[in-house]
Amino acid sequence: MSRKATWVIGTASILLLLALYTRLSIHQHMINPTDTTIPTWMQMSEGISKIFAAQPRTGDRWIVEDVLATLSRLGFGLGIGVFIAFALGMSMGVWRWMEAFFLPILSLFAKIPPTAMMAVFFTLFGTELKMYGAIIAFGVIPTLAQTIYLGLKDIAEERIDKARTLGASTTEIIFCIMFPQILPKLLDAIRLQIGPAMVFLIAAEVLVGDVGFGYRIRLQSRLLNMNVVYPYLAYLALFGFGMDMGMRWIQCKLCPWYAKGGVS
Amino acid sequence: MDSMQALPLVRKGGCLVKPILTVSNASFQVRKQHILHGVDFTIGRGQIVGVLGASGCGKTSLLNLIAGITRSTSGIVSVNYDGQETEIVGPGPDRGIVYQAYGLYPFLTSVENVAFGLKLHLTTIPRRMWGQVTGFWRRLRREHLKHAEELLVRFGLGDAVHKYPHELSGGMRQRVAIAQALIMKPQILLLDEPFGALDEATREDLQRMLLVLYEENIQAVGQGKPAPHTILLVTHAISEAIFVGDRVMGLSRHWNWEEQGFSSCPGATVVYDKVAPVFNSTDSVDFEKFFGQKNEIAQLVFDEKVRVRPQDHCTFWSQVRVNHGHGVTHDV
Repeated sequence: MSRKATWVIGTASILLLLALYTRLSIHQHMINPTDTTIPTWMQMSEGISKIFAAQPRTGDRWIVEDVLATLSRLGFGLGIGVFIAFALGMSMGVWRWMEAFFLPILSLFAKIPPTAMMAVFFTLFGTELKMYGAIIAFGVIPTLAQTIYLGLKDIAEERIDKARTLGASTTEIIFCIMFPQILPKLLDAIRLQIGPAMVFLIAAEVLVGDVGFGYRIRLQSRLLNMNVVYPYLAYLALFGFGMDMGMRWIQCKLCPWYAKGGVS
Repeated sequence: MDSMQALPLVRKGGCLVKPILTVSNASFQVRKQHILHGVDFTIGRGQIVGVLGASGCGKTSLLNLIAGITRSTSGIVSVNYDGQETEIVGPGPDRGIVYQAYGLYPFLTSVENVAFGLKLHLTTIPRRMWGQVTGFWRRLRREHLKHAEELLVRFGLGDAVHKYPHELSGGMRQRVAIAQALIMKPQILLLDEPFGALDEATREDLQRMLLVLYEENIQAVGQGKPAPHTILLVTHAISEAIFVGDRVMGLSRHWNWEEQGFSSCPGATVVYDKVAPVFNSTDSVDFEKFFGQKNEIAQLVFDEKVRVRPQDHCTFWSQVRVNHGHGVTHDV
């Protein structure tokens, strides 16, 4: 199939979805003209302007404060998660005793869904930024650390031996051979972990947040203001797309060899 | 056993054959597995030695002992570059190695791969980081890359300089791998079945490239200078060992260990070590010339039914002494 055809069909699927929604909302409003569960496009635009409007009392805009809150929590959580996973995965891949020590703990915690452990996080870390960071980090560390550790195990021993005949020190083997070799896999893993990280974050925000996407969606659904909830969901989707493309772009820039089809 | 003990060995031209690598009575075992037993030989500077053996007989283990990647269980492996014998205790840039696969780093382009050793050996991470600040590293790096590019061009890889390994053919990859090892100017170059995965024509091409290196040796010796390249070529192709090497060694587990009082095989040992004909890089492969030797090796090294007495066929240095053969160990 040609590229153009793929594009046309893809657009058609989105348009069809929008058309079906329009049909559904018209139908619902014929039954109940005051319905807010399936808002018409008119109601939807009112909702969107509410999202962007300055609040009369505080002057804040929902979208600004929610995006800032959610993004900083996600960034903070992913940041420490990646940092700890990197240190853990690298040391497990390099030193046998680290592997023996951390592997059981890691596989044990990997089995517990972080959302089930929220109460633990609330009691340990309160309900501030710290807690969101901890819950995201806890959720992504097992997968990321294991990706790094397994990636290191995969490196052919000849590559390491060869480096040593070229005069590499242990530090150089870790940073000049092992690290660049697993970097693209690590970036892939981070990209795929953004989804789960969002799940943990939104769940925590729904439960205890006082600002942020999860909080806003919970509050507005209680009020049956679906004309606010749907645009928020759309923003989340767009945001996910953006992150995905951003990570791919970073991978292309940092690992051009991998993007060109080289295998590690 | 045949050895260089009766040194100094003087060529007709008047200069000495200098030993560069000595493996004396080396044995190697992994846990209870006996891999090598009583391996004993000396290699002269500038030789290309073809090391033959059936697969799994310990050729790679021998190479790893010399590279210093593993240590022998007993016996000594030592090098002698400047008249002083030094035991090998670990890998070093004086002994380069080329593998059949995994030799190149997939995240580096050809030129970066070749320059990699210079970077690793000559600088350290803190020095490079500080060098980023002062600009010293950028200047040095440019020199390294220029040097690497020159070497690649010399090896006929001018078009592949900025390509990644997966964009190259197998033959080109091995050329880059050899350049990567040679840029370190290693005293000894270890090749572990480097051409095993290549097609016939490419393989011959690369074999001739090694013969060019041997010609450089002969030229250097003729001018009274030390020969620059000493090469151990591990292979399972008999003709390759004879064609490229000036000496062929065979490792085998099928020797007369029963007669020596062992109840099970104590490991492979050198059962064959003789002079091989020397070819020029432009000579056609003359199979006639090594037909007899090929049969002899096939029987002594590869036939599982024979029980070889190693001392009968390890006669390289005796042959040199009676001036049998040509090349760097002989009159030039």
